[in-house]
Amino acid sequence: MRELFEGKSGVVGEDWTDGFVTHLRHSGAAKRNPEPTTGRSVSGRFRVLAFGEPRNDGAGSWPTVVMRSAWLATALLVAATPVSPASIFVASQGASQLARIDTGTNTVTATTQVQTGPAAVAADARGRLYLSHPDASAITIVEGETARVLKRLTYKGQAFGIAADPLGRFVYVGDWTTGRVSRLSAETGAVEGVVAVGKDPANLVLDRAGRIWVADRESHQVSVIDAARMERVATIAAGEAPFALCLSPSQNRLYVANVRSNDLTVIDTAALKVVATVPVGAMPYGVATSADGARILVSNQHAGTVTILDANSLTLTDTITVGRYPEGIVVADARAYVANWFSDDVSVIDLATLRETGRIKVGAGPRNLGIGQTGEAGR
Amino acid sequence: MRFVTPTIVFALTATSALAHGPTPQKVDQSITIKAKPDAVWKVVGDFSGIKAWHPALEKSEGDKGSKDGGTRTLTFKNGGVLKESLDEYKAEGFTYSYRSGDADLKALPVSSYSATLTVSPDGEGSKVEWIGRFYRGDTGNEPPENLSDEAGKTAMNAFFGDGLKGLKGKVEGAATQ
Repeated sequence: MRELFEGKSGVVGEDWTDGFVTHLRHSGAAKRNPEPTTGRSVSGRFRVLAFGEPRNDGAGSWPTVVMRSAWLATALLVAATPVSPASIFVASQGASQLARIDTGTNTVTATTQVQTGPAAVAADARGRLYLSHPDASAITIVEGETARVLKRLTYKGQAFGIAADPLGRFVYVGDWTTGRVSRLSAETGAVEGVVAVGKDPANLVLDRAGRIWVADRESHQVSVIDAARMERVATIAAGEAPFALCLSPSQNRLYVANVRSNDLTVIDTAALKVVATVPVGAMPYGVATSADGARILVSNQHAGTVTILDANSLTLTDTITVGRYPEGIVVADARAYVANWFSDDVSVIDLATLRETGRIKVGAGPRNLGIGQTGEAGR
Repeated sequence: MRFVTPTIVFALTATSALAHGPTPQKVDQSITIKAKPDAVWKVVGDFSGIKAWHPALEKSEGDKGSKDGGTRTLTFKNGGVLKESLDEYKAEGFTYSYRSGDADLKALPVSSYSATLTVSPDGEGSKVEWIGRFYRGDTGNEPPENLSDEAGKTAMNAFFGDGLKGLKGKVEGAATQ
């Protein structure tokens, strides 16, 4: 196994010293940058969208020309990507390490030491990973293919939930302490906009319509943010202590795992309304869907299980035992990968047989996973 | 060692109800006991009866019994009080999982926790594992020393470790009577 340490890459940490108030005043420039809409996106920590999947942008406010060119740019970028199996990236908070798992062999092919305590992972469509470090006031950007640290951004706050736009221009990050979500320049770390959300914002996810969905854990709600304007456009009541979020492949549904009420809130993303609340296992901490969207997978931390729900009927169909304190879960092709926080490993679940087919040892305290392409696009 | 004034302690206690930080820590304790699992389970399986074997407790009271949704209130010898509730109680597997209610930093310097206790066969006797996940007492980025990750680790490992020693003494003592 090759060990790659940050610092070798010669990356200089970006250190911006302006307060966010200053950046707020200058957020006009940022407003002129629309979010791209894409036919393919690696969305947060959840899943790779099928190529050619219909878009659901609903972004009438953006200039059509800009929107089209952004989409075209992403489409070209995607076309240039060599076909290679997806890689799974696992952030271990205790070991301060990012591990890359090759989904062809289900082995760790690289590990990268990062700053203290990476918590959440996001991916863009260029093969880059974004890590939040709540205890280190930092964000790390890693190049997936080389497993090298490209950048370390300073973030004044307890960075937790994180998302990146597909082109890797913006990083969206939630501050656990102050209940805010910021948009940073991925290049400089400069804060381009800040919006207040609920208490203890946990995970967040960016959709193809340019909306950010935030699990406001201690406000028991989901905040919906217009990412271009960095304004909150809605709040939707969830269960008790919503933590993990996942969009369905068509993005017409948002699934929200509620840690304390042990259930899953299903939200209609067009109507911005709750359509169902479904009981799952004890302490649900992660959620994902199968590539076709037919199944919903929920990791239950206390139960040490993954429950499988039928997405149409919203009924529980299977329960699979995994490691201890499972948390983040992602689906790549026909397998699910689950970070077992206490066991220090990743469970591999075959979605055809619904069996755990293996465990992959990783650094201490794995919490979240991201999906990236090892063939770096856009070079 | 920093000192926290009573006012600050009160403020933290008042605002840390169900508080939850972004950085969980592990607690992992186990012990072997010279008794069959069902004999150990008879003692440890009574969720609200923890006072019978835990040396740090003055009192423990339960509500709703040893089953999913059951609760217990622990009164510590130092006066701290914690309420815990069962998420999963599996008598057939000799295991249960529970989580904390409101924090009481006097009882344990952590803001929230969850834990699982499991009894399994170990040769002629049993092994009891008590593991958990907790968040430090001050979940902010610059916690005082007494509410840090380290302080939480020390306190939680002591609470679980001393409890298991107490359990061993109780079960093995009873077995020889």
